Amino acid sequence: MPSHWVVETAMEALARLTHRGAVAADGKSGDGCGLLLKFPESFFRSVGESLGFSLNSRFAAGSIFLSQDEAEAAAARQQIEAAIAELDLQVLGWREVPVDASVCGEQALASLPRIEHIFVNAPEGMPRGRFNRRLFLARRRAENRIADATTYVASLSAATISYKAMVMPDALPAFYADLRDARLETSVCVFHQRFSTNTLPEWRLAQPFRFLAHNGEINTIQGNRNWAQTRANNYRSDKLSDIEDLNPIVSLSGSDSSSLDNMLEVLRAGGMDVLQGIRLLVPPAWQSVDDVDPDVRAFYEFYDCHMEPWDGPAGLVLTDARYAVCALDRNGLRPARYIITKDRHLTVASEIGVYDYSDADVEIKGRLGPGEVLAVDLMNGEVLDTGDIDEILKSRAPYKRWLKDGFRYLDSELVDTHTAAEPFDPATLACYQKMFNLSREELTDIVAVLAESEHEAVGSMGDDTPIAVLSSKIRSPFDYFRQQFAQITNPPIDPLRERMFMSLQTNVGRELSLHDIGPEHADQVIMNSPVLSQKKLRQLLSEEFFADAHAFIDLNVDDSMSLAAALDDICRQAEQAVRDGAIIVMLSDRYLVEGKVPVHALLATGAVHHHLIRAGIRCDANIFVETGTARDAHHFACLIGYGATAVYPYLVYQSLHDIAQRGDLDRHQQLGRSYRRGIRKGLFKIMSKMGISSISSYRGAQLFEIVGLNDDVVDRCFRGTVSRIQGIGLEQLANDQLALAADAWQRQTPIQQGGLLKYVHGGEFHCYNPDVVAALQSAVRSGDTADYERYARLVNERPVSTLRDLMEPKALGSPIPLDEVEPKEAILARFDSAGMSLGALSPEAHEALAIAMNRIGARSNSGEGGEDPARYRTERVSKIKQIASGRFGVTAEYLVNAEVIQIKISQGAKPGEGGQLPGHKVNEMIAKLRYAKPGVGLISPPPHHDIYSIEDLAQLIFDIKEVNPDALVSVKLVAEPGVGTVAAGVVKAYADLITISGYDGGTGASPLTSVKYAGSPWELGLSEAHQVLRRHDLRQKVRLQTDGGLKTGLDVIKGALLGAESFGFGTAPMIALGCKYLRICHLNNCATGVATQNEVLRTNHFVGVPDMVVRYFEFVAEETRQIMASLGVRRLDEIIGRVDLVDLGDGETGRQAKLDLTPVLSTAGASDETPRFCTELRNEPFDKGELAAKILDETRDAIIHKQGGKFGFTIRNSDRSIAARLAGEIARHHGNTGMADAPIDIMLRGTAGQSFGVWNVDGLNLHLVGDANDYVGKGMTGGQIVIRPGDNVGFVPNEAAIIGNTCLYGATGGALFAGGTAGQRFAVRNSGATAVVEGVGDHCCEYMTDGVAVVLGETGLNFGAGMTGGFAYVLDISRRFVDRYNHELIDIHRITPESMEANLHHLRSLIMRHHELTESAWAARILEDFRSFLPKFWIVKPKAQDLRSLIQSLRQAA
Amino acid sequence: MSVHPLQFLEVPRTDPEKESADDRVQHFGEIYGHYDDAVAASQSGRCLSCGNPYCEWQCPVHNYIPNWLRLIEEGKLFEAADLSHQTNSLPEICGRICPQDRLCEGACTLEDGFGAVTIGSIEKYITDEAYAQGWRPDLSHVVDSGKRVAVVGAGPAGLAAADVLARSGIGPVVFDRYPEIGGLLTYGIPPFKLEKDVVLRRREILEGMGIQFQLGTEVGKDLPFAELLADYDAVFLGLGTYQAVQGGFAGEGLNHVHAALPYLIGNVYQVMGVDNPPMPHIDLRGKRVVVLGGGDTAMDCNRTAIRQGAASVTCVYRRDEENMPGSRREVENAREEGVEFLFNCQPLSISGDQHVDGVVVAQTRLGAVGADGRRPAEVVEGTETLLDADVVLIAFGFLPDPPEWLTDHEIDVLPSGRLRVATHGDYAMQTTNPKVFAGGDMVRGSDLVVTAVFEGREAAASIARYLTDR
Ligand SMILES: Cc1cc2nc3c(=O)[nH]c(=O)nc-3n(C[C@H](O)[C@H](O)[C@H](O)COP(=O)(O)OP(=O)(O)OC[C@H]3O[C@@H](n4cnc5c(N)ncnc54)[C@H](O)[C@@H]3O)c2cc1C
Ligand SMILES: Cc1cc2nc3c(=O)[nH]c(=O)nc-3n(C[C@H](O)[C@H](O)[C@H](O)COP(=O)(O)O)c2cc1C
Ligand code: SF4
Ligand code: SF4
Ligand code: F3S
Repeated sequence: MPSHWVVETAMEALARLTHRGAVAADGKSGDGCGLLLKFPESFFRSVGESLGFSLNSRFAAGSIFLSQDEAEAAAARQQIEAAIAELDLQVLGWREVPVDASVCGEQALASLPRIEHIFVNAPEGMPRGRFNRRLFLARRRAENRIADATTYVASLSAATISYKAMVMPDALPAFYADLRDARLETSVCVFHQRFSTNTLPEWRLAQPFRFLAHNGEINTIQGNRNWAQTRANNYRSDKLSDIEDLNPIVSLSGSDSSSLDNMLEVLRAGGMDVLQGIRLLVPPAWQSVDDVDPDVRAFYEFYDCHMEPWDGPAGLVLTDARYAVCALDRNGLRPARYIITKDRHLTVASEIGVYDYSDADVEIKGRLGPGEVLAVDLMNGEVLDTGDIDEILKSRAPYKRWLKDGFRYLDSELVDTHTAAEPFDPATLACYQKMFNLSREELTDIVAVLAESEHEAVGSMGDDTPIAVLSSKIRSPFDYFRQQFAQITNPPIDPLRERMFMSLQTNVGRELSLHDIGPEHADQVIMNSPVLSQKKLRQLLSEEFFADAHAFIDLNVDDSMSLAAALDDICRQAEQAVRDGAIIVMLSDRYLVEGKVPVHALLATGAVHHHLIRAGIRCDANIFVETGTARDAHHFACLIGYGATAVYPYLVYQSLHDIAQRGDLDRHQQLGRSYRRGIRKGLFKIMSKMGISSISSYRGAQLFEIVGLNDDVVDRCFRGTVSRIQGIGLEQLANDQLALAADAWQRQTPIQQGGLLKYVHGGEFHCYNPDVVAALQSAVRSGDTADYERYARLVNERPVSTLRDLMEPKALGSPIPLDEVEPKEAILARFDSAGMSLGALSPEAHEALAIAMNRIGARSNSGEGGEDPARYRTERVSKIKQIASGRFGVTAEYLVNAEVIQIKISQGAKPGEGGQLPGHKVNEMIAKLRYAKPGVGLISPPPHHDIYSIEDLAQLIFDIKEVNPDALVSVKLVAEPGVGTVAAGVVKAYADLITISGYDGGTGASPLTSVKYAGSPWELGLSEAHQVLRRHDLRQKVRLQTDGGLKTGLDVIKGALLGAESFGFGTAPMIALGCKYLRICHLNNCATGVATQNEVLRTNHFVGVPDMVVRYFEFVAEETRQIMASLGVRRLDEIIGRVDLVDLGDGETGRQAKLDLTPVLSTAGASDETPRFCTELRNEPFDKGELAAKILDETRDAIIHKQGGKFGFTIRNSDRSIAARLAGEIARHHGNTGMADAPIDIMLRGTAGQSFGVWNVDGLNLHLVGDANDYVGKGMTGGQIVIRPGDNVGFVPNEAAIIGNTCLYGATGGALFAGGTAGQRFAVRNSGATAVVEGVGDHCCEYMTDGVAVVLGETGLNFGAGMTGGFAYVLDISRRFVDRYNHELIDIHRITPESMEANLHHLRSLIMRHHELTESAWAARILEDFRSFLPKFWIVKPKAQDLRSLIQSLRQAA
Repeated sequence: MSVHPLQFLEVPRTDPEKESADDRVQHFGEIYGHYDDAVAASQSGRCLSCGNPYCEWQCPVHNYIPNWLRLIEEGKLFEAADLSHQTNSLPEICGRICPQDRLCEGACTLEDGFGAVTIGSIEKYITDEAYAQGWRPDLSHVVDSGKRVAVVGAGPAGLAAADVLARSGIGPVVFDRYPEIGGLLTYGIPPFKLEKDVVLRRREILEGMGIQFQLGTEVGKDLPFAELLADYDAVFLGLGTYQAVQGGFAGEGLNHVHAALPYLIGNVYQVMGVDNPPMPHIDLRGKRVVVLGGGDTAMDCNRTAIRQGAASVTCVYRRDEENMPGSRREVENAREEGVEFLFNCQPLSISGDQHVDGVVVAQTRLGAVGADGRRPAEVVEGTETLLDADVVLIAFGFLPDPPEWLTDHEIDVLPSGRLRVATHGDYAMQTTNPKVFAGGDMVRGSDLVVTAVFEGREAAASIARYLTDR
C-alpha cells in the first residue's frame, strides 16, 4: 500500500547511512544522494491539477535538471517538448520544483541546476508499456540533441520519479519540499547515497538513476560499453525498432552505474522484464558451482553466448513499478541486509538497523548472498527469492534442449602428445625466434618455467629497465601496454582462493538477437579456455559450423608496404571474409617468407576488431590469432583485451618442442598442456586484478594504459584506450620489425641473449646496473662525498630511462649560497624508507633500516609482516606500520605503537596482487610474528576483504583512527590512469597521507609479468593525483608521497616539482646495507644476508650497519640542498607542485623525441592560490564517534587503573567501530594482554554499526543484545564478543542474520559468540580467534592459519579455501557441506566418540559456552540431543595437519 | 631458478687439483688438473644466477657466464660450448690464463666470503671436454658472402677476428711472421700456463671453420701491405707490441742481462723441440737470477727460471704486493715454487763489469694517489743495497712498435705508438683508413689475451657491418 511512511523511512535510513557517503571539502556538499519512487500518481495528479493541467487517465511526470541560464533552459525545454511531441505524446507543461538551496554546500551551489517537473499525457487508450517506451525514446532523442552540460533528464516515466541532489542525506528532505509533503505516497522507494570513486561528483551522477541504485562498481565497464555498442542490432525487437535513436546504446562517459542503468533500460524497452535483465547483466557464478539446476544453468549458458556479464561489486536496488528488485554480484562484494516486517514492509540496505523498528515485529531478518536476488512483484505483493526467479526464467524457453542440440564442447581432455606436430628444423626455429624477438632469456626464464611448473615465473625487485618507448632496444609492442588494476574503487578478486567464481569459458559462434531467441542461438562451440593447442585448433576448424566458415588472413606482408597500408588491407580482407560468411577470422603470422614482414598480431587484432565494429558486423565473427608473438600471459591478455576470441601460440609450442628435444625439460608429453595451464593461471590473475571473473567480460575491454604510442596508432588499432603522452607511430613500429627481419634471415646471427629481466652486457639498460650498485656501496662505505658524486652522476646522467629523465628543473631564481637553504634535517624528515616486510628482509636488515631512519629523524616502514613487540618504544621501532590484506600481526598494540599507519592498497611491482612470502622464508620467528605456520608460503589475498569500495576504505580508516587517534593514516596506491580520482576519494575517506608508487618499485617476490606489465610511472600518477586534488580543493588536506626507483637528490627535486612533499626509498637503502641487486630475494639464498632468513647468511654475511643507510640519506639530502641552492630555492615547499619549473628536454633517441609530456605538467586549471602542498595537520573524520567518546569517558579510569567493571549503553548502526577506542587505550597502557585479569564488560543494546569490536584486546568483553553489521571482531586479538538477539523476536534466530560480512577478518585471538548467522567471509585470515555462529555465508575460514570456528548451521561455498591452520566444526544438517568446502587444502572428518573424545568434549564445551552466553535456543536443542546431532558434525582441518596431533594439542590445552 | 639455492654454501669452491710445487717445477707442463663432469656440474651449481651478474660485467668479453654455468650444471656440454663461443673465440685459453681473480671471479658475488665460482676452470672445462667428445663449431648454416678479409697477426686479436669473420660468412686469411699461430700465446706465455697443444687444437678448430693461415709471412717485408689492401675487402691488424720497456738505468747492456720475451721464447722453442730456433735457448741452471718487474711477464720469467733449475730467483718490484698488476694467483704459484719477492724495492742500476754481478736496489714507499689513480713508488733516501745476481731478467713490459708502413696507408698512430681507432659506433675499431681495422695490444698497449680477443671480435663485427653497408 502506498504511504508517505515509506518515503519518510527511506529518508531516515538514508540519513543513518551518512557515514557511507562522502563529504566535499566545503563540509556540506555530498557526492550526491536521492530517492527513486514508484510513481506517486495521486500526488502528481493533485499537483498537476492545481497547475491547471488536464491530466489524462494515464500521464507521466519527468524530473529534469536545467541550466540556470534561462536561455539555455528554454532551449532545452523546447528540445524535450519536441522530442516528446514527435512521439505523439502531449506535453502539458512544467512545474518548478520547490527546493531550498540554502542547505547546499558551496560546491553543490556552484553547479546547482534549475530543477523542474514536466507533465506528459498519454493518448487515451495507450497501454502503459507503450507509453513508457515512447517516453524512453523521447528522452534518448532529447539527450542526443541537447548539447549543454547541465541539462539532464533524471527521470521521465509513468513508472518512477526521482528526487536527487548533491547534498548530505539529512538535508535531502529540507532540499525538496515535495518529500515533506504528506500527500507524496508510494509503495516502493529506492534510496542511495554516493561516494564517487570512478568519476568526480556531479549533480547528474547522483543516484538512483531511472531504474536503479547501485552500490559498488562495474569492473568490466569498458568492455561492457564497447560490446553494448557493438551489439546494437541485437537489442532490436518489435517493441524497440528504432535502435538507431539510441546511439550511444549506453552512455560512454559518466559513471559506470549510469551505463548499467541505460543497459537495463534498453533491454526492458526491447521487451525483456527486469528480472531477466538483471539476471543476465549480473549473473550468479553458474559456471563453477556444481549444484545448479541444469535448466537454470542452460538459461545462463544460452545467454552467455550473446552477452557478457557486467561484473563487479554490485549491490543493486531497482524498481520499474512492476517489480522491486535487489540483487548482489556473484562475489557478494557488497553487503545487503533485509528485514521483512509483519506489516509486509521489506527494507533492504547495506546495513541493518537503518530505521527504528521493534524486533518483535520482524518476521525475517536476512542478507542477500552472492549472486542472489530478491524481488517483490508489485502486482500481487508476492516476494520472490532467487530460486523463484530462476524458476520463472528457465521455463521461458527450452534452453536445455536447444543447447543440447546446438552446443559442441571441444574436448578439454584431449591430450596433445605432440607439442608441435610438424616441428621446425633448428634454423627455421631460430629464424622465427629472431623475427618475433624471442630471446634465450625469455625462453628459459619465462616460457620454460611456465611449461615446467605450470606457474608464471616469480622474481624479485622492480623493473629497472626503461619503459619501452624510452628504450634504445627493439621492444615488443606488448611492452607499450600497462595492465590496469583495481584499487579501492573496486576490489581485485582472488584468483587463487576464489577461482571457482572465475571462468575462461570461451564460446565460438555468431552472436544473435537477445529478444528473438531460438535454437539457432545455440549453434556454438564451447572451449574451456582461449589458449589453443594445435589439436584443438584443428578440431575446431573442422567442426561443421566452421569448416567452410573460416577465413585465413596472412599477416605477412611485403616489406615494401607501409604498415598503415598493410593494416588497411588486413581489415579489408577481414571485412570481406565476414560479409562472405566467415564466423572465424584467423589472423596468422605463421608463414614467414623472406621479403615479407609480419604485421604485429596485436596491431592487427586491434585494427580488425575496431574495423568490424565500425562496419557493424563484429558480432558475426570471432577473431582467432595464430601468432609467434604471444608467449606470456600478458601477451594473451592484450590480444584478448583487444578482441581476440582465442590465441594459438605456435612459436611457443615449437620452442618447447625444441627445448624438450634437447632434454631440458622432463615430461615431454605434457609440456604444452602445462604451459597452457600456466598461461591460464596468468590470465586469471590479470583478470582478477581488475576484479573481472569471466573472460567474456575481459574480451574487448581494453583494460590497459598505453604508454608511448601516438594517437595515430591508438585511433587505428586501440581506439578508446587511455594514452596520455603520445610516442612512436606506425613507421617506427614497422622499422623495428624490419630490423628484426633483417637479423632473422641472417642465419649466422644467433638469437638474442636477452637482458630485460637481468642485466646482460649489451642488452637492455638497467637503472641498478652493476656500476650503480658498486658506486653506491663504495660511497656509503667510504663516506666520501666524491664517491657519492660518482654514484649520483652515474644515475643522474644515465641514458634516458624514466620519464623524469626527460625533465630538467628550471631555476626559481639566481643561485644562493648553500647555507641559505633549509638544513638537511628538514629534507631528511621528508624521507621514509618504503614498506618492506620483515620476512622479505632479514631481521638484521629490517632493524638496521629502522634504526637508521630513526636516527636521521625520518621514519621507517614496517612493511606488511608485523613487528616484534620487543622493538616497540626502542630505537628499533618502525614508526610507520603497514596494514596489508594478509593482516599479519595487526593488533591494537601494533597499531598504537605507530606514528603513521599505512594501508597498503597496492605496490608498484604487483598492483592488484597480494604480498608473497615463499614458504622457505617462513621460519619459526617469521611465522610467529605473522601468526602463520612455519614453512607454509604466504600469499596475501589480492583484496583487503574489508575494502571493496571507497566507503569501506573510509570505514577502515575510521577503525584505525578510533584505535589510535594520534596516528596519521596513509594509503599506498600505485600510479595508473584515474589514480587522481581515487586519491580524491581517499582524501574524502579521511586519509592524512597518500603514497603514489611507480610501477618500478621493488618487491621481495612477484610474478615477473606483474613486475613488467602492471602499473604506470609515478611521474604520471603523481602529477595526476596532484592535479585532481588541487582542482577539488583537497590538496591541502593530505601529504603526497611518491616512491619507485628514487635514487638521488635530483629524483627528490623532480618528485617535488611534480607534486610530492615526501619520498619513499626501498631498494636504494637496501643496497646501502649491502644488497647487490642479486634479485633472488624470493629464493631465501640472498648472499648478502639482506633478504634471507637463513641463519648462516644472516650472521656471517650481512655486512650492513645503520650508518650506511644514514650516510646514504645524508648524501641524498645534501645533494638535494645543493641542487636547491643552484636553483635559488630556500625551502623545498617553494617548489612542490611547481610544474611550471619543469623543462622538458628533447629525448635522445628518435622514439623519445616523439613523447609529449605536457599533460604531466598541466595545472588542470587550478589557480595559483590553490595550495600546492599539505597545510592541514590532520584530516579529521566527519563522524566524531560520539558514543565511542562517551564510553571511553566512562571507562577511562577503570582502564588506567586496571580496575575493570561493567558499563551499559544503547547503540545504533551509525555508532561505528565501537570499543576500538577502548582497545587502543588498553593497548597503550597495558599492551594486548595486560588487562586480561581486570576485564571491562560493555553491555549494549541495539544495532551496532560496522566494525563492532574491531581490534579487540584481552580484558575487553563486549555483550550486545540486538545485531551488528559488517566486520565484527575484525583484527581482534583477545577478549570476548557476544551478540545475541533480544528475548522477544518475531524471527527465528538461528536462521536470521545477526552479524554482517567479513567478521573476524585477521583476528589473532579472543572469542566471538553470535546467536544467529554470519555473512560472507567469516573468519578470513583468522589466526587464533575462537568463534561460534549459527550459520555462515561463502568463503568461511579462508586463509585461516589458526583458531577455531564452530558453525552450527548452513555454510556457503568455498569453505576453508587456503586454510593452512586451525580447524572448524560444521553442523551439516542438509548434507551439502561436502560440495561446499574447498578441497584443495583441507579435509573433513566425522567425529567418532571413541577415538576423538577430546574433540567431542571440545566441541561440546564450546557449544555449552555459546549457549550460556547467547542463550541460543538452537544451541540448547543441539545440546539436549547431542547424540543425534554429533554424527552430523564435520571436523574440518588442513590436510597437512594430522588428526592425531590436533587431538593431542587439544588435550594439552584442556 | 637454481635447483639447489644454497649450493654455494654447502659446496665449497674447489679449484681443479693443482700439482704440488715440488713436482711441477720438474717440468714445463700445465700445473692444473681437469674437472670431471660431476665436479664441474656441482661447481657450476654454486652460481646464484645474479640479477646483476658481476662476473659477466667484469669479463672483458662479457661471457654469458651464469647461463653456461647453468648448462653445465644440467650436463648440457655442447650447448654450453656453443654459448661459450658466442662471446669468446678462445674460451679454453682464457679459462687458463685470464687473471680471473681480477676479472670475472674477482667480481663474482660469491667472492665476498664464499669463494667465487670457479669460472675460469669451468670455461676451460667446457671447450676441452666438448672438443674431446667431438664437438666442433657448426658453421653449416653460414652463407658465404664471397667477401675476403686479410688478418695480420695470428695472436689472440687476429684469431678472434678471424673466428667472428668466418662465422659471418666472410673468408679470413691470417698472416703471421711466425711459423705457428698464437702470437704470444705460443711465443711468449710459458707452457706451464698454457700448453702448446691447446693452441694447436685451437688451430685445428679454426681451420675446420675454413680459416686459412699463411704463416711465416711477415707483412711489410715478405708481403707488401699494399697488396693486402688491394686483394682483400678489408684488413685487420693485430700485430701486438714487441718493444721491450727499458729500465733506463746503468748496466742494462751488461752480459747476462736479458729482456724477458726473448728469454721466454727461447725456452718455448726448447720445450717445443724446435731445431735451430730463431731465438737461442738461455739456460739458467744453477744461476742466481734476479727478475725485475711485477707483472705477468715477470712471473713467467720467475717460474721459467725455477724450472730451468736456477739456484735462486728473486723478484724485485717497486710497489707492494697489493699493488701488483699481475694475477694474484700467479704470484702465489711463483712463491710456492720458491721465488723470493722483494716488494717496495726499486732497482737503481745493474752492477758488474762485463757480466752482471748484482743489482743496486733501494726501498720505496707509496706516495699519494696520482692522476692515473695509482700510487707512485718513491725512493727512500739512503736505503740502497746491492743484491747479488748472476743473471738479470728485465720484465718491465712492452711498448707499441708500429711498423712504418702504417703511415704510408693513412693509418694514424697516436703519440704513444698505439693505433688510433674508432672507440664506438657501428665501426668501432676502424682505423683512420676505412678499410683497415685493428685491435689487441697494438691498439690498447700490452694488456691481456682476453681484451685482445674482445677487440678482435669487435673489429670483425664492425668489418661485417662495414662490408654489408658498403
Ligand atoms: C710473457 C707474457 C705472458 C703473458 N701472460 C699473460 C697471461 O697470463 N694472461 C693474459 O691474459 N695475457 C698475458 N700476456 C699478454 C698477452 O699475451 C697479450 O696481451 C696478447 O697476446 C695480445 O694479443 P695480440 O693479438 O694483440 O698480440 P700478439 O699476441 O702479440 O700477436 C701479434 C702477432 O702478430 C704477429 N706479427 C707482428 N707483426 C707482424 C707482421 N708485420 N707480419 C706478420 N705478423 C706479424 C706476431 O708474430 C704475433 O704472432 C702475456 C704476455 C707476455 C709477453
Ligand atoms: C624486498 C622488498 C619488500 C617489499 N615489501 C613490501 C611490503 O611489504 N609492502 C609494501 O607495500 N611494499 C613493499 N615493497 C615495495 C616498497 O615499499 C616500495 O614501494 C618500493 O620498493 C619503492 O621502490 P624502490 O625500491 O625503487 O625505492 C617491498 C620492496 C622490496 C624491495
Ligand atoms: S674470458 Fe676471462 S674474464 Fe671472461 S670469463 Fe673467461 S676467464 Fe673470466
Ligand atoms: S657473479 Fe658469481 S654467482 Fe653471480 S652470476 Fe656470476 S658467477 Fe654466478
Ligand atoms: S636483490 Fe635481493 S637477493 Fe639480496 S642482494 Fe638484494 S636483497
